[in-house]
Amino acid sequence: MKIQIQGVGKEFRVRGAGRPFTALDDVTLDVRAGELLTLVGPSGCGKSTLLDLLAGLTEPTSGRILLDGAPVDGPGLDRGIVFQQYALFPWRTALSNVEFGLAAKAVPRKERAERARSYLDLVGLRGFEERYPHELSGGMRQRVAIARSLAFDPDVLLMDEPFAALDAQTRESLQEELLRIWEKTGKTIVFITHGIDEAVYLGRRVAVMTSRPGRIKRVVDVEFDSRDGDLRADARFGEYRHQVWTLLRDEVAAARTEEVVHVG
Amino acid sequence: MASLSTGVTAAGLPAGVSAGLGRLAATAGRRVAALGVLAALWESLPRLRVVDPTFLTPLSEVLVAWWDLLLSGELLEHTQASLIRSLAGFALAIVVAIPLGLLIGWYKPVAELLDPVLELFRNTAALALLPVFVLILGLGETSKISIILYACAWPILLNTVAGVKSVDPLLIKSARSMGLRPVRLFQKVILPAAVPTIFTGIRLAGAYSILVLVAAEMVGAKAGLGYLITYAQFNFRVPDMYAGILTISVLGLLFNQLLVRLERRFSTWRTT
Repeated sequence: MKIQIQGVGKEFRVRGAGRPFTALDDVTLDVRAGELLTLVGPSGCGKSTLLDLLAGLTEPTSGRILLDGAPVDGPGLDRGIVFQQYALFPWRTALSNVEFGLAAKAVPRKERAERARSYLDLVGLRGFEERYPHELSGGMRQRVAIARSLAFDPDVLLMDEPFAALDAQTRESLQEELLRIWEKTGKTIVFITHGIDEAVYLGRRVAVMTSRPGRIKRVVDVEFDSRDGDLRADARFGEYRHQVWTLLRDEVAAARTEEVVHVG
Repeated sequence: MASLSTGVTAAGLPAGVSAGLGRLAATAGRRVAALGVLAALWESLPRLRVVDPTFLTPLSEVLVAWWDLLLSGELLEHTQASLIRSLAGFALAIVVAIPLGLLIGWYKPVAELLDPVLELFRNTAALALLPVFVLILGLGETSKISIILYACAWPILLNTVAGVKSVDPLLIKSARSMGLRPVRLFQKVILPAAVPTIFTGIRLAGAYSILVLVAAEMVGAKAGLGYLITYAQFNFRVPDMYAGILTISVLGLLFNQLLVRLERRFSTWRTT
């Protein structure tokens, strides 16, 4: 097992409220080495909180997270994160953004540019090395962000709704690209999304979360006879989609009533 | 002019280029037009006796006076004295205010400690404190440079604090996820992200350094453009007074232009 999430809970203290806010409650999930697991859940179910925990940016209130058998202790370059809002440094060029992680890893200066270039090449951005983020489209920025996370060669790639801010066409082409990169690099990928189609299309397993407080409701194995051609037109795709949709439907409804109660 | 530009088009310039040039000329024309009107009014109003020429000298006579001051070397001497004071105060303000601002923006305890004092002082006009500076530091250069330093420090300090505080938390999170420790985080993320905001403060300070200068030089100075203006007024050398005012305006304008350019250079990425 690459990642073991064991009975993890996370509470936040809320200003003005008497009792803490429970974002995650008793989450247990294993991620296998080299697999692409998608995590889907209604908005506000604590998906991103779970990702922060995996990244080591925050600590669980209860339970523990093991990475290669050792508890996660703070952030590290063995995990790379790709955020929905790209999080590129706007004062750095595409190349220099990719070099950032390499510098953090203390890769010799001479090697950095070369490696950064080859990763930009991998995400299809040859010729855009000297562009600044504001000169790139949303899809290209996310490609740079993916290249940046891949360049320092982490074992695990954590992706937090990375394609949610992109238009449908760009999203689909990036999804395909991600699968290609995954097959080529063999990284373990945890991919968070609220899109059912995306979860089924990308994930070899789809973990469905409950509404707040977030738990793992079910893990669905996604298997196709062949992944060639238009996967979304496959009858099995529709079945998986429906299965996940059914699992999520009650949760989305629960999330909504809670929201109404909160607002009202 | 019209026939000339048609001639150019006929000579083979693509229509788009000549249209672009035309737009550029129109913009430049509008910009110059207002200045032209101002100059014309300055020249004609006293000449037509709408205002008393004793108090408002026509522009042409001011320019002659300015030329005489330049030839006599007097203007250079005053400008030099003023520039040294302005630049010294301005440079010292940068040296003092930027590190202090970084400290306040980054360390909460420092901010909590200094905030009340800063609130009090920033709401006190610099010129209201001029007598205090003179009383404590005397009439010499020290008090003049100090008051400029004081006036310039505020915009730099406040913008530096704002710049550090307004760094996108996602960038900090992203850098932290790559294992950056606080010192490197500050150096690699906070500082570069804050540079454009800091530069806005520096540009404002540049303007203040010239604005406060005049007031500082009106008491107890023996040289400087502010001194020239007051001295000329007392001796009823009205054209010289206007020449001094004009020089200070142009100086301020040039200094500001220079800083605007620098600012643009340092924040090309902030165009989204």
